[in-house]
Amino acid sequence: MDERLEKALAFSQFRVTIENRRTAIRRRFETMLMVHHDDGLFRADAITMSFINTLMDEEHTSAILIDEKQNPIEVKDLKVLKEKLFNAYFEATNEYTSEVKSLAKARDVKKAMNW
Amino acid sequence: MAETRGVALFAYNTDQIDYAKLALLAARYVKRHMKNNNICLVTDQGTWDYLVDSRSAERSDVAFDDVVISPVVHTANKRIHYDSPWTKFVSEFKNSNKHQIINYTPYDKTLLIDIDYIVQNNSLDYLFDTDSEVALFHNSEDLAGFPPAITETWLKPTGIPMLWSTVVYFDKHNDISRMFFDMWAHVHDNYDFYKFLYGFSGNMYRTDFAVSIAAHLMNGMGDGELVTDIYGKLINMSQRDDITKVNAIDDWVYLLNDRMENWKDSVTRIKGENVHVMNKRALERFYNYISHELDIEDGIAEE
Repeated sequence: MDERLEKALAFSQFRVTIENRRTAIRRRFETMLMVHHDDGLFRADAITMSFINTLMDEEHTSAILIDEKQNPIEVKDLKVLKEKLFNAYFEATNEYTSEVKSLAKARDVKKAMNW
Repeated sequence: MAETRGVALFAYNTDQIDYAKLALLAARYVKRHMKNNNICLVTDQGTWDYLVDSRSAERSDVAFDDVVISPVVHTANKRIHYDSPWTKFVSEFKNSNKHQIINYTPYDKTLLIDIDYIVQNNSLDYLFDTDSEVALFHNSEDLAGFPPAITETWLKPTGIPMLWSTVVYFDKHNDISRMFFDMWAHVHDNYDFYKFLYGFSGNMYRTDFAVSIAAHLMNGMGDGELVTDIYGKLINMSQRDDITKVNAIDDWVYLLNDRMENWKDSVTRIKGENVHVMNKRALERFYNYISHELDIEDGIAEE
């Protein structure tokens, strides 16, 4: 086989592995973003966290929020939920960043898999 | 009295698969990751004795808080298992009393998991704090993030959606939970009739199909969320996939078989996710290594 073609095919296999790993990292990130509070399930994303901040800026201490399952949830203490969401957000983004960085450094399948 | 919470597993050994050994592994992962980690094993005397003899009483004590001995005479239910696309074997599948878990469980709130469901995070703990009567996964994907085959999405191409019985959460004191398990028992007892009514084929009794039918019947023969959808998706490792390396207790490397062109494989690495490891032989191959790592962590063995 032509050497250039051989290299291209090896690179193609490597890309499949990288894509598989990326999917797994994103899935783990999504799992880590979920916060359970007052019988509701919330995602620690920018919209939810900003909305809670706005409610608190408007001096609300409790509110009804629509959770990820589209259920109305009576949040008794917005401050507690905010803290949980921020913790989940920082934990998830830190791990996500470190995994993405280490994947970017991997130059072959073995390194990407920590073989 | 305080509400009791815990996880339950069924294990009945067959001539081909040591289910109890895999239950031991699954239980130790639950202990490691979940907050609600009382564990009950439902088994028969022979399987339990073999487990204690072969895997030590110490390990069994670490893993299981409660043991329910249920000497059920299972109806013949042969299943073809794969270990990669190239090896297959037939084994008895003893699942005829799974719907009885509501009677067996010592806990008020129970999470029933299959012995090949490896818990590597605490995302299921939230269920115990909800008002859900019964919850199951409605959606799944494979290790690469692709949706399941149509045969694992619907009972038949124009049929009802398939729910997964791999993970079942329920509150045993709730009337709706009780009704759901009664309905599951009814579907089990009349499986041939429901097979004809819902138009699917195959000779094996599948609990996934039984819970799907029970949920459909209880939802007034329609769609609905009477049976709550567990948040996220059930991640399935196919029986045609394999485990190639265990980097650490919660960091596994898998070989993914291409569904369309099964001579092709790719690899992926999954860290800290709950995975339904359907290739039981693959799990058995890595049992000793993982068990040893867990032993070190639990102070049963030295490094």
